[in-house]
Amino acid sequence: MFSVINSEWYKLRKSKVLFLLLIAPLIGLFIGIANSSIEIEGINAWHGKLVMMNFTYAILFLPLISGVLASVICRYEHQEGGWKQLLALPVTRGKVFLSKYLLLILLMLVMQLMYLVSIYLVGMIEGITDPFPMDIVWKSIFGGWVATLPLIALQLWVSIAFKSFAAPFAINVIFTLPTILVINSERFGPYYPWGQPFLMMNIGGSTEDVFFVPWDQILMVVGGSFLLFFIGGYLYFLKKAI
Amino acid sequence: MEYIVETKHLTKSFGKEKAVSNLEMKIPKGEIYGFLGPNGAGKTTTIRMLLGLMRPTSGSVQLFGKDMKNNRIEILKNVGSLVENPSYYPHLTAKENLEASRKILNVPKKRIDEVLQQVRLHGVANKKVKGYSLGMKQRLGIAAAMLHQPELLILDEPTNGLDPSGIIEMRQLIQSLPKEYGMTVLISSHLLSEIDQMATRVGVVSKGKMIFQDSIETMRKFAQASIQVKVNDNEAAWRSLLANGQKADLGEESVTLQAEDDEQVAASIRYLVQQGFSIYRVQEEKRSLENIFLEMTKEEQAG
Amino acid sequence: MILSLVKADFLKIKRKGMWLLCLIGPFGVVALQMVNYGVRKDYLFDQMDDRWLYYILNINTFTPLAIVLGIVILTSFMASIEDETNAWKQLVALPVSKRAVYLSKFTVVSCIVFLSSVLLFLFMLGYGLTLGLGADIPYLRIIEYSFLPFFAALPVLGLQLWVASVSKNQAIPVTLGAVGVILAYSAPLLPDWVIWKWPALSNDWDHSYINALLGIGFGLVLYVLGMIDFKRRDVK
Ligand SMILES: Nc1ncnc2c1ncn2[C@@H]1O[C@H](COP(=O)(O)OP(=O)(O)OP(=O)(O)O)[C@@H](O)[C@H]1O
Ligand SMILES: [Mg+2]
Repeated sequence: MFSVINSEWYKLRKSKVLFLLLIAPLIGLFIGIANSSIEIEGINAWHGKLVMMNFTYAILFLPLISGVLASVICRYEHQEGGWKQLLALPVTRGKVFLSKYLLLILLMLVMQLMYLVSIYLVGMIEGITDPFPMDIVWKSIFGGWVATLPLIALQLWVSIAFKSFAAPFAINVIFTLPTILVINSERFGPYYPWGQPFLMMNIGGSTEDVFFVPWDQILMVVGGSFLLFFIGGYLYFLKKAI
Repeated sequence: MEYIVETKHLTKSFGKEKAVSNLEMKIPKGEIYGFLGPNGAGKTTTIRMLLGLMRPTSGSVQLFGKDMKNNRIEILKNVGSLVENPSYYPHLTAKENLEASRKILNVPKKRIDEVLQQVRLHGVANKKVKGYSLGMKQRLGIAAAMLHQPELLILDEPTNGLDPSGIIEMRQLIQSLPKEYGMTVLISSHLLSEIDQMATRVGVVSKGKMIFQDSIETMRKFAQASIQVKVNDNEAAWRSLLANGQKADLGEESVTLQAEDDEQVAASIRYLVQQGFSIYRVQEEKRSLENIFLEMTKEEQAG
Repeated sequence: MILSLVKADFLKIKRKGMWLLCLIGPFGVVALQMVNYGVRKDYLFDQMDDRWLYYILNINTFTPLAIVLGIVILTSFMASIEDETNAWKQLVALPVSKRAVYLSKFTVVSCIVFLSSVLLFLFMLGYGLTLGLGADIPYLRIIEYSFLPFFAALPVLGLQLWVASVSKNQAIPVTLGAVGVILAYSAPLLPDWVIWKWPALSNDWDHSYINALLGIGFGLVLYVLGMIDFKRRDVK
C-alpha cells in the first residue's frame, strides 16, 4: 500500500503539481489584501479578515481546485495506455484507488495549511496587532479540509471516468456555482455538499462544537455524501473496462 | 534530375542536441524511398520538417522544387502523410474522421469510401475509432493520408501494428502507387527487410546524419562484393595488397577484398600468389543488407 | 479555407457534450433565479422599486461567472480534442495555415458562447415574464445583460484559448480558469483594467458598452498574440 502511494507521489512530483498548491495561498493573499475589512471596536481584527477571506476561498476556489487536483492525479494514466500499465503491475485496483484518494486528501491538507500561512501574512502586511485566534483558525482550516473529503471522492470518480480535464471540471462547476445562492438558504444550505466547505470554514457559525457546524450535520451531509461518492467511485473503478 | 524532395543542409537542434544535422535528402519522382535508421536517428524529426510541422534550425526543405518556407500550403495540397502514431478523433467514426479532413481538402465525398475500401476498413466505417484495434487505427491513418490522391506520400513506420496480411496488403498497395498514380512515396522504418521488399531507393540515417543514399541495387551490390581470403600471414598480405594499390580490409582471421568484379578478384589473388603467400581459402561472403546496415550505423556511432 | 476548417471543427465537437454545456450555462443561470424567486419572491420584490432591473441584476451576479467558466471549459475541450491523439500534427500537415487553424478554434468557441447569450436572452425574458415584474418590459436592458457580457469576455476567451492550445498539460488553463473565476467573483474590488472584471459590466464610467468595446478591442489583441505564438511553435 505504502509503495503504491509512494509511486503515485513520485509521478505527481514530476508533474510540477506543487505549483498548483501554491495557487491557494496566492489567492488567499489576493482576497485578503483586495478586501478592506471594516474594523469594529472590541472585536478581534482577525475575525473580519477571516470571514471575508474564507468566503470567496471556500465557496468557489476550494471545490474547484480540488477537482483540478483530482484530474491531475489521473493524468498520467489517461495518456497512452497508462491505466493498462499501472494495473498490469501486481497491485489491486482497490489499492490504486485508495492510494490516489489518500494522496489527494494529503495534498488538500497541505494546501489548507499554506492558505493558513497566507491568512497570517495578510494580517502581518496589514499590521493587525490583535492576538492571532489560533483556536478559531485551526477549526476553520481543518473543517474546510474535512468538508472537501466527499467532493474529492466525487472528483476522483469523474476524473477516472473522463479523459479530458474539461469534462470533470464542467461537472464540478455545475455543482459549485449554485453554492453562492444555496448557502443563503437556512433550509437547504446545510444539506448541500458543495456548501459544506464554506459552512465549515465560516467562523460565524456556532462555536460550541468542535467545528462551526453541528456534529449531526457533518455526519449526515459530509459523511453521507462521502460514503456515496467514495463507494460509487470505488465500485466504478473496480468495474471499469481498461 | 527532377527531385520531388530535396533538402539542403537540413539541421534541427533541440537545445544542444542535434537531432538532424546537415541532412541532404534527394528523392526523384516516382521512387519509393526507404528512409532507414535505428531508434532516435532523426527520421521522424526529418519528416516533421518535410511537412512544415517543425521549423529547421538551419537549412532548407524543397518539395516539388518549391521552398517549404514560403509555399507551405501550396505544397501540402499535394502531400499526404502519416507521422508516428496515427492521429484520430476517438469519439468519431472512421467515416467522420475522414470527413473532417475531407472538408478541408475539398475532395469529392466518394473518395472516403474509396480509401476505406483500399485499406479494408469499409466494414467498420461507421464504428467509433475508440473501439478500433491498433492495426485498424493505423489503416485509418493511411487512408487519411491518401484521401486527396497526393503526389507525394510520406509514411512514418506505416506497418507498425499491422498483422502479417496487413503488412503484405500495405506493401502491395504502396508498390502500386507509383505505377498507377505516378506517386512518389517516402517510407521510414528501422527494419531493413521491410524496406528491401518495396523500396527503389534508400537513405540511411544515423545520429542525425545521412550515411548512405543511393538506389537499392547499389546497396545490394554492396552486399555481394565482399571476398574473404585466408592466408598464412593476413596482416602482411593486407599491407602488400594496399601497397599494390588494391582495396582491402583486414579482418580478424582473413583479408576482405573490396573487389568490384571477378577480374579484380583474380588479379588480387594472382598478386598474392606471386608475392609468395600461402592461400588457404577464398570465400565469398554474402553480407545481408541487415549486416551492412548494422555496420554502417555502428561506424557512425563509434566515430 | 477558414469556412471548411470551421465546418470540420464543428464536426469534431460532436458527442463531446459541448452543445449541452451551451444550453446548461444560460439555463443554469436563470434556473438559479427560479429557485431564488421561488423561495423568497416577496422579499426580493421588496428590494427595489424597479423589479425588472433587480431581477436582471440578480441574474447578472451569475452570468460573468458562468461565462468565464464556460469559456474555460470550451477552450480546454477544443484543445483536448486535438491533444488526445496529438491530432494537431495531422491537422497542421493539411494544406491550411496555422493561423487559420487557430482562427477556426476561436470562431467555434465564440459561436457557442454567443449562442449561449442568445439562449440567455430568451430564458431571462421568458422567466421574467412569468414572474409579473411589471408591464414595462425593459427589452434593451435584457439585451444589454445578455449580450454585452459575451463581448466583454472576449479577452478571457482569447487568453484561455491561447493557454489551452499551447499547453501540453490542460491543468494549466483549467487552473488559470479557477483563478479567473475568483477574480470575476471579486469584480467589485478590482481596478477597471482587470479583464476578468469586464463581464460584470460595471466600471467607473457607468456605461456598460465601454466594457463591451474594451472587450472586443482587447479580445482582438489577445487573439492575435495567441495566434502568433501558436504559429511560432513547432508541432510535435
Ligand atoms: N520534441 C523534442 N524535444 C527534444 N528532443 C527531441 C524531440 N523530438 C525528438 N527529439 C530527439 O531527437 C532525436 C531524434 O528523434 P526522432 O523521433 O526523429 O527519431 P526516429 O528516427 O524517428 O526514431 P524512432 O525509430 O524511434 O521513431 C532523439 O534523440 C530524440 O530524443
Ligand atoms: Mg520515429
